[in-house]
Amino acid sequence: MFQHKKSLLLFLIPGLLGVLLFYVVPFLGGAYYSFTDGRAQAGFVGFTNYAAVWENPMFQLGLKNSLILSLLCAPTVWLLSFVIAELLRKLSSGAKTLRSMILLPYIMPSSAIILIWLLLFDYGGPINRLVSVLGLERIDFLSGQALRLPVVLLFIWKNLGFAVIIFLSAMQAIPQAYYEFATLEGAGFFRQLISITLPSVLPTCFLVIILEWISAFKIFKEIYFIGGAYPDFEVYTLQNYMNNMYGNLNYQNVTTAAYTFALILFVLFGMLFCVQKIATGAVEGE
Amino acid sequence: MKNRSQHRHRTKSFLLHSSLFLLALILLLPVILTFLYSLFSPLEIKEHLLLRGSLDKEKWMPLLFSPQVVSIGQYYRVLLEDNGILQRFVCSCFYAVTILLGQSVFIPALAYALSAFRFKGRSTIFFMLILLMLLPFQVTMVPNILMLRTMKLLDTVWAVILPMWFSPFYVFLIRQYMVGIPHELYEAAQLDGAGTICCYTHIALPACRPVIGASVALSFADIWNMVEQPMTFLTTRDDLQPLSTVFNKLIAMPTGIEFAGAVLYMLPALFVYLFFLEDIVTGIQLTELK
Repeated sequence: MFQHKKSLLLFLIPGLLGVLLFYVVPFLGGAYYSFTDGRAQAGFVGFTNYAAVWENPMFQLGLKNSLILSLLCAPTVWLLSFVIAELLRKLSSGAKTLRSMILLPYIMPSSAIILIWLLLFDYGGPINRLVSVLGLERIDFLSGQALRLPVVLLFIWKNLGFAVIIFLSAMQAIPQAYYEFATLEGAGFFRQLISITLPSVLPTCFLVIILEWISAFKIFKEIYFIGGAYPDFEVYTLQNYMNNMYGNLNYQNVTTAAYTFALILFVLFGMLFCVQKIATGAVEGE
Repeated sequence: MKNRSQHRHRTKSFLLHSSLFLLALILLLPVILTFLYSLFSPLEIKEHLLLRGSLDKEKWMPLLFSPQVVSIGQYYRVLLEDNGILQRFVCSCFYAVTILLGQSVFIPALAYALSAFRFKGRSTIFFMLILLMLLPFQVTMVPNILMLRTMKLLDTVWAVILPMWFSPFYVFLIRQYMVGIPHELYEAAQLDGAGTICCYTHIALPACRPVIGASVALSFADIWNMVEQPMTFLTTRDDLQPLSTVFNKLIAMPTGIEFAGAVLYMLPALFVYLFFLEDIVTGIQLTELK
């Protein structure tokens, strides 16, 4: 590896300065607000802000919804993409074209798709026609509890392809001979899936669930497009809480909520990371 | 016996193909419908959109499959008469170009510093980047706004552009790819008298072609669909908003030309996608993501 000091600085400093200025300093600077009160001569108030925000019902609602939505989105994308990638892997021809079709939504701006989405999910729209053909009562998808469905589906629609590609590239690295041998021995589709594919792509499984969970936690656009800036309580997430508190110029509440959010994320993904280390270690150790 | 098993194999493969094709079709349906609806006359689409939101149990919205007349009226009005959509489209293009240009200067260089050099604090910086990747935009929003305000950048295009130049995710992505470049390549070049800058431009960058292509495509998709940044950094500047922030407002008061606007907005994304498709796939395949 290179150890030249001067040229290192040339490559490192411009980018690092930008990251520090626009990401790290704002993150650390938030601490100042979360521990002071809002007056001109800000006084140190310790954890008072935290206690107040944690007891705030809107904060609790936002936290609950962020968790619920991410738990609806991430595992669904994960499971679907695993199955689709496994099916694509088995294709003898045309896999490339199908793969390109499935990945396309990832690049498409969901902001433009929203027009058709709102029409499809209208009370009198095609999806409700399907619902009523199935003999069920029509659903008002654009308000209340049911609002989660178009939001989650838009997320899945957009993110599915990327996860499929990640899984597929891991699966294509598995030697074909394993499957041929297993078929000779009489192992069926599910047996092969569980005994060959799954252990081979275990690290990828973790990668996909982590990536999808991160983006599902950041879910905001989909809610903003469908529910507006002040959406119904059922999809009111932490992001909405922070946006509205900012609108009220309550910087203390925003940064306190932000820190809480960041802490939860760090702990959650730290735990996932440890589980991954242990699980992949166990497979390799076998 | 052999014939029967061959036959079964063929049926299975046909089922597999058709089910995957059906799935791909469902995923593409919103895109296809948007294209289709852009060919309806503005009047017909406006009438249709005005039927939205009725909770009347007796009424259905008619299913639109074919236009009464195929019309380019929507495109005509978007491109030549009503300049609201076109002006925002130009705004979006401006953001995409300036952000991508800045990223191509700063991001691969930082990735190179973090992969080819040995120095103290390297893993700390890398760990920090991973933590930053986890954070949603809103977490650093308020301090960011205050900082941009002191720098007198708030409510200018630079408030949106500058932070995006240093997106941690793309540094991470390219760095993970660069780690895979064997160091012998650099050493061989050094023996021939190449310096670190020459190694960067002649070895690291060309070797990273797929992941850089993938990053450009992903970053473009990100910029093209951005909502949070313009909404919070440009609150008083309605004229600087990109097209991505306004579609859901447009449909609330339909004028009948929304779908042509949507197609206009999807086309550049489609071109970028087709151009970088192979890079995205190989980039992901070869990047050490785990």
